[in-house]
Amino acid sequence: MSKDKLILVVDDDADLVESMSMKLESLNYRVAKAYDGVEAWDRIKEERPELIILDVMMPRKDGYQLCDEIKKSDEYKDIVVILLTAVADNVRTTNYTHHSGKTTFADDYIPKPIDLDELMDIVKSNLQ
Amino acid sequence: MVEDLRGEPCRPSILVVDDEPRIREGCRIVLSEQGFDVELAAEGKSGLKMIEERHFDVVLVDLMLPALSGLDVLERIRARHPDTVVIVITGYATVEHSIKAMKNGAFDFIPKPFTPEQLRIVVAKALEHNRALADIAETRSRLRVMVNRLMDGVMTTDSNKKIVLANPAFLHMMGYHGKGVIGQKADEIIENKTMLDLIDKALELPASSGSEITAQLEENGGDERIFTARCAPFRSRTGLTMGTITVLNDITALKKMDKMKSDFVSMVSHEIRSPMTSVMAQLKVILDGLAGDVTGKQKEILERACQRIHSLTCLVSELLDLARIESGLISQEKQTVDMAQILREQVLLHSETAKAKNIELTLEIVQDLPKILASRQSMEEIISNLVTNAIKYTPDGGKVVVSADVENEYLKMDVSDTGFGIPIDELDSIFTRFYRVKNQQTRNIIGTGLGLSIVKSLVQAHYGSISVKSRPGAGSIFTVRLPLAHT
Repeated sequence: MSKDKLILVVDDDADLVESMSMKLESLNYRVAKAYDGVEAWDRIKEERPELIILDVMMPRKDGYQLCDEIKKSDEYKDIVVILLTAVADNVRTTNYTHHSGKTTFADDYIPKPIDLDELMDIVKSNLQ
Repeated sequence: MVEDLRGEPCRPSILVVDDEPRIREGCRIVLSEQGFDVELAAEGKSGLKMIEERHFDVVLVDLMLPALSGLDVLERIRARHPDTVVIVITGYATVEHSIKAMKNGAFDFIPKPFTPEQLRIVVAKALEHNRALADIAETRSRLRVMVNRLMDGVMTTDSNKKIVLANPAFLHMMGYHGKGVIGQKADEIIENKTMLDLIDKALELPASSGSEITAQLEENGGDERIFTARCAPFRSRTGLTMGTITVLNDITALKKMDKMKSDFVSMVSHEIRSPMTSVMAQLKVILDGLAGDVTGKQKEILERACQRIHSLTCLVSELLDLARIESGLISQEKQTVDMAQILREQVLLHSETAKAKNIELTLEIVQDLPKILASRQSMEEIISNLVTNAIKYTPDGGKVVVSADVENEYLKMDVSDTGFGIPIDELDSIFTRFYRVKNQQTRNIIGTGLGLSIVKSLVQAHYGSISVKSRPGAGSIFTVRLPLAHT
């Protein structure tokens, strides 16, 4: 059922991207990978994923900013964005204020350290 | 005993001015026996001359003198030698003259004829008065020097907010470099609004409360300085508010160090958390068999490795929390929260864990528990930590009770258990970072030793207090008091 769905995994930690990808692939998702925010934009344009697992702290362009840009673009705003936050501080809802004072609307979030099973559940429920 | 300039006691000196030789001589004999230094004068003029030349502690002067009258002598002494005590000798003991002399500044009067005993008493009383005055003057000057030399800022105002005293440190901290401030209204000298509010609030404190108000001030005098200000009203003996005393401490350096420390902890925590997340995910991938088959023994080892890493990540999370709390970020996120609801949620959340240990977890809340001004997240964290601890440190089959009530101006929450309890000599240490009660019963309980210090920091950030009562073997009660929201 989930065979055709493409998920973009974005994190500057290549090992983590690899682990998440293996887990997703084991559940028959297709996976695209990116290692920073700028690269992620290229993948989004090329492959148009249905869901993005997006790390917050990344070089070049951080997750908050990328999420903002996705949600503001008419073309890509329907893509589901799940934020990976290393600092689970004031993240209680999916819209929250980040460092520059902007409010970001993600569809869901999961605090690091992540539990892969939990992440898979979140992915599943957001793709239904 | 009066002291001279070298600080050594000297004999009190007394001058007797009377035109009757018999009286003069009588006084000299009686007072010399007392060990006083006695001088005599037969009339006003020569008496005044002697007073000009040296200091007398007490002058006894006859009202009826030839030429210069006793009242004239009194007037001159009062004008030029305020430290000298004058006692008038009234030859005709009329009330009128005595009253006039007293009105003009005589300390006392002694009617003729008088006995040696009467004389001794009246002089002793005068010397006592003198000594008290000297004491007060000395205490005042000592206090003034002390206050002026303090590195902390000190200011006192009267009940109309007029400045009674402000030491140089205080004026410097407030950035005031103008002229004298004594007698001026505080708001004419001080611009800092927080500071002025503090004085207003201190003056409004009910007489029954012996407390003080504290606040943190920031002053932008070129470079930013941070102060803590403590302001307390002071009262007369009848309990009337007379004014306020404010003490300022410069805590800028402390704050900077604190910030550096917090930044360091945050950075380290993040740098540790990221690779651990990665390792956890990798282990999980292997455990799930996504990287090939796993034997039973391998699985067991990997699962234990996962557990260890998980507890490490918990430690890092808590360190991060603590760094955040200590950087003061929490206090800015306050809103009106319904503690009753939070308590219900938390008890529900922990009921599974309690059930697993066969522990009875119950909640007792009074009706209409008032709302308080707080950070919701902090409140959840406080309760969650206390309840988790209570469950952890209570053996199977025990009881944990969470209750909430109103006590004076505070919302009071208790978390009590029937657990192992805390040894008395360790009660003081349990709120210390990384401190854990270690004995046979607690050996297998996993924890970081940060939970209670996080709770304490959070409670304090809400101007509340936390205390604990415990009896080893019987259980513990943790009590949190939080100020009610004033609407």
